[in-house]
Amino acid sequence: MSENPYQTYDARILEVKDLTSREKLFTLRFLDPEVEAKFNFKPGQFVIVDIRGFGEFPISICSSPTRRGYLQLCIRKVGRMTKFVHKMKEGDVVGIRGPYGNGFPMEKMEGSNLILVAGGLGMAPLRSVLWYAIDTGKYENVWLLYGTKAYEDILFRDEIIHLLKHGEAMNCSVKLAYEVESPSCIYLEQGFSDRVCKGVVTDLFRGEEFDVNNTYALICGPPVMYKFVIRELLDRKLSPGRIYMTLERRMRCGVGKCGHCVVGTSVSMKYICQDGPVFTYWDALSTRGLI
Amino acid sequence: MRYIKLPSENFERFFKSLEAWGTLYAPVKKGGIYSFQEVHDPAEVARDYNRTMLPPKKFFFRPKEAILRLKNGRWEEEVEAEPMVLFGLHSCDIHGLKILDKVYLDEPADPYYKSRREKTLIIGISCMPDEYCFCKSLGTHFAMDGFDLFLHELPDGWLVRIGSVRGHEIAWENGELFEEVTDEDLANFKEFEEKRAKAFQKEVPQEGLADMLDLAYNSPVWKKYAEICLACGNCNMVCPTCRCYEVCDSWMDAYSSVRERRYDSCFMENHGLVAGGHNFRPTRLDRFRHRYYCKSYFDPTAGYNCVGCGRCDEFCPAKIEHVKVLEEVRGSLK
Repeated sequence: MSENPYQTYDARILEVKDLTSREKLFTLRFLDPEVEAKFNFKPGQFVIVDIRGFGEFPISICSSPTRRGYLQLCIRKVGRMTKFVHKMKEGDVVGIRGPYGNGFPMEKMEGSNLILVAGGLGMAPLRSVLWYAIDTGKYENVWLLYGTKAYEDILFRDEIIHLLKHGEAMNCSVKLAYEVESPSCIYLEQGFSDRVCKGVVTDLFRGEEFDVNNTYALICGPPVMYKFVIRELLDRKLSPGRIYMTLERRMRCGVGKCGHCVVGTSVSMKYICQDGPVFTYWDALSTRGLI
Repeated sequence: MRYIKLPSENFERFFKSLEAWGTLYAPVKKGGIYSFQEVHDPAEVARDYNRTMLPPKKFFFRPKEAILRLKNGRWEEEVEAEPMVLFGLHSCDIHGLKILDKVYLDEPADPYYKSRREKTLIIGISCMPDEYCFCKSLGTHFAMDGFDLFLHELPDGWLVRIGSVRGHEIAWENGELFEEVTDEDLANFKEFEEKRAKAFQKEVPQEGLADMLDLAYNSPVWKKYAEICLACGNCNMVCPTCRCYEVCDSWMDAYSSVRERRYDSCFMENHGLVAGGHNFRPTRLDRFRHRYYCKSYFDPTAGYNCVGCGRCDEFCPAKIEHVKVLEEVRGSLK
C-alpha cells in the first residue's frame, strides 16, 4: 500500500438503498483484494470518501467489523459533495481512505451493559456498535434509545422494528422516541406501548433502571443533545468515565495535520480526528469546546 | 557541538560554495520588507534583516500546492523535492520549523513536507531584536539544534556552530575557509549575546500562562479585541507555526483533475463549519480566542505554538499586539 496518507483506494458501490428521503445507505467493497484484506476497523471509526475531481468528506462507518467483506456508509444529503454521492449508482467507484480515529473501546466494555443513545443521524455510528455487540454476544444487555424526528426519519427502520419485535432474544432492547405524530407512529406506539413514545430521547430514560457499576453509555447525536443526555446519565450516578460520546468536526485530512478539527484551549488541545472522535465525559470536562 | 570561525574575507567564497548543495535561498530586501528569495550573489543577501514577511515554512508547506493529480481515474502523487539551502534563518524560525516538524513528520508523515525537509540545509544567522521581538521570553531566542550550521556575528567574521553531520561535511569540504576559534572570538561571542539579551523590549510572562489564559476564557478582553480585529487572517499567513490547510479539487480538462491544498486561516468563518451548516466557532470572538489559545498551547514535548517572531504584530492591519492581548487577558483576572 502507498505510504502517502492522502492516497485513496478504489471501492465499488455494491448497493445503494434509500433509508429516508435524505439518507442513503451505500454498501462498498474495495477493488483490490489486498486492501480489502487489510482493512480493519473498530465501531466508531470513520473514513474519508473521495469523489475524484470533486473532493473529499469524512463519514462514520455504520456497518459492523464482525460482518466482513463490505463496508457501509449512511450518507445524508446536506451539501455539494453528498448531493453528488446521492446520484451515484451500483457499480460506480469511489475512493476511500482510513479508517481514522480511535473508535469505541469495545474490548474494555466486554461483559458490561451498553446503553446506546442515538439522536437522528447519530444512529449511524452506533449501528456499528449495536451489531458488533449482538454479533459477538460479549455484552450483558444492550439498550438502544433512539430519538428521531418522525417515523419517516427512522434510520434502518426495518432493523429497528425487527429489534423491537425480536430484540429480547439477542439481549437487546430498543426504545424509540419521535417528535412528529403520524399514523405510522401511533400504530408503532400501539404495538410497543412500553417502548415507543412521543417525546425526545431523554424521555426514554424514564422507568429505566441500570447497574451503574456495570454499564457504559455511548452517545451520538446532534450537538444540542449531548448536554441533556449527559445530565440524565449523571443524575443516575453513572461515572463520567463510563460515558462515551462520538463527536463531529470538520475532519479534512483525518491524520492530524490540517487543523480544522482542533478543539480546546491553552491547557488542553485535541484533534478530534486522532484523539477522538470518541471521548469520555472526563475529556469534555477538561477540554473546552469539545461539546 | 563543534565551533569554528569563518573570517569575514572568506564569507563570499563560503556563500558561493553552498550552491553546490542545492538552490540557495536567503533573505532579500524587496521594497520595505524582507523575503526569502533565490540568490546567487552574496551582495544581495540582507544579513542584518529583522524578519521576512512569510516565514521559511513556505518552502516546506507551500501557500498552495498540488498534492495529487488525477490521471486515467487514478490519483498520482507528486512528491517532488529539489535540494535547497536556506541561508540566514533566525533562531525563532528554526524553532518554528521544529514545531511544524512535530506535526508534519509525526506518523503518518506528510510526504511532501518530509521530502522537502530532508533535502534542505538550514543555515542560521544571529540577529538583534527589534521592537516586535519577544522570542527570549519564550526560550526560542537561541537554537540548540534544528540547523546544519549557525553563524554568529563577530567583529571580524562569524563564529560557526555545527549542528549536524551535513554541517560537518560542509565545514570539512571547505576546510581552508575556516579557522579555529580563539579566546578572543569567544569573548566577542559572549559580549554579543549579552548585548542582544539586553536589547529585548517585549516579553510574555510565561509563568502559569496556559492556565491563566484558560481561566480567563470569559474575559471581556477577548471581546474588546475581537471587535478591533478585521478577521483578515494575515497573522495566520505570516505565522511560522500556523499550519491549517484547506483542500480543493479542480478540473484541468475533461479527464484530469488536481487536488490542491492551500493555507487556511482559523479566522475564516468556514474553518469550524461542518456538513449541514452547523458552525462550532460561529462568531469572530470564538475565532479570535481560538487563535490565541492555539498559539499559547503548551505541549510538554514541543513547547508553545508561538516562537515570538513578532510577525503577527508587524503585519496586523489593525495593529493588534500579541503580547499586549495576553497581558490584558491575564490582567483581567486580577
